[in-house]
Amino acid sequence: MTTPKIQVQGLKKSFGDKKVLDGVDLDVLPGESVVVIGLSGTGKSVLIKCILGLLKPDAGHILVDGEDWSTLANDEQLLRMRRIGMLFQGAALFDSMSVWKNVAFALLQQGMGNKEARTRAGEVLELVGLHNVEDKMPAELSGGMAKRVGLARAICHKPEIIFYDEPLTGLDPVMADVITRLMQRLHSEFNVTSLTIAHSMMLARTFGNRIAMLYQGRNLKQMSPDELDSCQDPIIRQFVEGRSEGPIHLQGNRT
Amino acid sequence: MKILQALGAWAEAVFYAAGRYPHLLIEILRRIKRPPWFPQLILEQAEHVGVQSLPVVLLTALFTGMVLALQSYIGFHRFGAENMVATVVSLSMLRELGPVLVGLMVAGRVGASFAAELGTMRVSEQIDALWTLSTDPLRYLVMPRFISAIIMLPLLVALADAIGIFGGYVISVFMLGQNPHSYLENSTLYVELRDMYSGLFKAGCFGAIIGLVGCAEGFYCQGGAQGVGQATTRAVVFSAMSILVSDYLLTAWLFQ
Repeated sequence: MTTPKIQVQGLKKSFGDKKVLDGVDLDVLPGESVVVIGLSGTGKSVLIKCILGLLKPDAGHILVDGEDWSTLANDEQLLRMRRIGMLFQGAALFDSMSVWKNVAFALLQQGMGNKEARTRAGEVLELVGLHNVEDKMPAELSGGMAKRVGLARAICHKPEIIFYDEPLTGLDPVMADVITRLMQRLHSEFNVTSLTIAHSMMLARTFGNRIAMLYQGRNLKQMSPDELDSCQDPIIRQFVEGRSEGPIHLQGNRT
Repeated sequence: MKILQALGAWAEAVFYAAGRYPHLLIEILRRIKRPPWFPQLILEQAEHVGVQSLPVVLLTALFTGMVLALQSYIGFHRFGAENMVATVVSLSMLRELGPVLVGLMVAGRVGASFAAELGTMRVSEQIDALWTLSTDPLRYLVMPRFISAIIMLPLLVALADAIGIFGGYVISVFMLGQNPHSYLENSTLYVELRDMYSGLFKAGCFGAIIGLVGCAEGFYCQGGAQGVGQATTRAVVFSAMSILVSDYLLTAWLFQ
């Protein structure tokens, strides 16, 4: 059996006395796309932030290519970030920099020359379907464009693993389809491994090889989209069908 | 019981807030020995902290020097010691008013903008994004601001001292009819170089306070637009208060 690209073992994280993650286990195999679904506020973002080292987990291990990242020193972990790309929910573009500098940020920091980096940024922007935006500022972009620039920035340094945090939130259906196709294309062409968090079932079905559902700080099961449709677990059924009545306890105070 | 609980919660909040500054300072000092230092960013921030603060700072200094001359003239006039005005103006500008007033003005202008800028970057996940692009946010955002504040404050104060003394000179000579030659002589006669250095050293300390408090408030900001607003307010209030308190401590212990 191949070693999983990402292995999350018994991950726990609480804020104050709120247990957000309570022993999450998750495997992502190389070249696979896993989508984590769940209600808002079940700790999906916290999960990704723990994997990336932006939050320190209270307990548990995060293994990437078999190496434990949760015990690494800051500098070590930063070096390993070169293998990672991340698309943030709000794109999180640096608004003091032009679009091309945003996209080529990682390359510029690694010491690539301006000219070369700009060419590379142009290519990647082309790839996500944007032309002649290199010199615009992030504030001049529409939501969909910002998201695509964010995607370009996430893939510009050719990462092996891409994380997507709610990639379709706040987009119109057409743009959502554009982004989904882009993600699929990246996935098949560059053979990256991806971990996506979403609450859109559409995205989970079209983009996920496997789907995991987070509920009350744990993940219920990892299954393929087909298994998801035939799964009889009442909690999963309620989420998939999007009903407000059922066994899921809505906890309004969880963020 | 309730009162004790409330007191405990209050103390916890205070220590939590107070703990952020030393924490950030330790993190900065841990990193400062090794590159990258981002000299380009330090320069950019130096322009923001120093050059762009010039109008505010110089105007403040000019009028402080002028009012100082007027006020001390009124006092000294009562017992015929008008020629001491020059000494009072230059001594108090160099030792006290230069560093403190510049510190307060810059705390309002720059400390607030540090907190607002970093706070906005925090709540819009730009700080997290830096991390995922293998750039240490502390090095990239906090260190250049901190360093440039420490460097630029003494430079600003040196200019402010000069302008303040010049303001005092203008008022004394052209309004109060003092002799320009003896005014200049009195300005330097009782003033030692140590007075100026102590003021510039204080300025460096105030720069560190402004940089640290502004950056810490922004960097650890939470809770959306409201959080950014609160962080900005706290940055100005805390840095202004710390400047005044540390001014007393520095004066009492180092420069008697």
